[in-house]
Amino acid sequence: MKTNDIILQTVTKVTLFVIILFSIYLFFTGHYHPGGGFIGGLMSSGAIVLLLLAYDIKTVTAILPVDYKKMIGAGLLFSAGTGTGALIAGKPFLTHAYTYVSLPLLGKTSLHTAVLFDTGVFLVVIGVTMTIIQTIGESE
Amino acid sequence: MAFQILLNVFLAFIWMFLKTSYTPATFFIGYFFGLLIIFTFRRFFSTNFYLNKVLAVIKLFLIFNKELFLSNIAVLKVILRPKLNIKPGIFALPTELTEDWEITILANLITLTPGTLVVDVSPDNKILYVHAMNIDDTQEAIDSIKNSFEKAIMEVSR
Repeated sequence: MKTNDIILQTVTKVTLFVIILFSIYLFFTGHYHPGGGFIGGLMSSGAIVLLLLAYDIKTVTAILPVDYKKMIGAGLLFSAGTGTGALIAGKPFLTHAYTYVSLPLLGKTSLHTAVLFDTGVFLVVIGVTMTIIQTIGESE
Repeated sequence: MAFQILLNVFLAFIWMFLKTSYTPATFFIGYFFGLLIIFTFRRFFSTNFYLNKVLAVIKLFLIFNKELFLSNIAVLKVILRPKLNIKPGIFALPTELTEDWEITILANLITLTPGTLVVDVSPDNKILYVHAMNIDDTQEAIDSIKNSFEKAIMEVSR
């Protein structure tokens, strides 16, 4: 028997965005407070898992036509690229650079290349988690 | 569309509470991230991504400004000519727009194009009667401009 998931789906429609926003918050707060790329990425994929629970795999791939295996590749490229950037500047591998910039809206902000490295971690974590879950979910 | 804007404002406020910083700058950053999330999940909604509509409105506004400028130049040229070499006339323009505000905007935009003026709208809202200052050289050119107007308005109301 197919049950009617309308309550679950409606609640998902709102909570999904709040969870993703919280994962972005965790991602950016990682330098000064608990959080970072790993837990941010995990929570983002948690939101997509919630979407998978409320809808079926076909609907979710229609909403998010993302190849998660490519996402892993992009994330690894990001992290490796940040490390190689240091080599190009004549420093040891994975040396990070940072500077304080006064941006128009954000005020005094420290820009750190570790954020780019963390972006790679973020993407890889989402990619790996979603690949595992989708692969398990699709096999009969 | 209204739901998406509401959700975006809601997300911006949640961001402010997460950061415990209640400044306009934090609101805008939260709004930006909310916009990003809604863009990622745009296929999730039954309606189109609302920024498309905002961009269409901006485009319409730019067209409005451009036509206002060009129409004034065109009228200036006619006024400054020593001989009054014009052929005025009224023609009917069938329109596909249905909503009241769409027809109003189209009529106003036509009035602002060089040398044309909306005189009347037919009772069933299907035909606009346009007075043209120079009917033989503008008939085709004006029709094409109207097509672009109608298209721009349809992008907004789509």
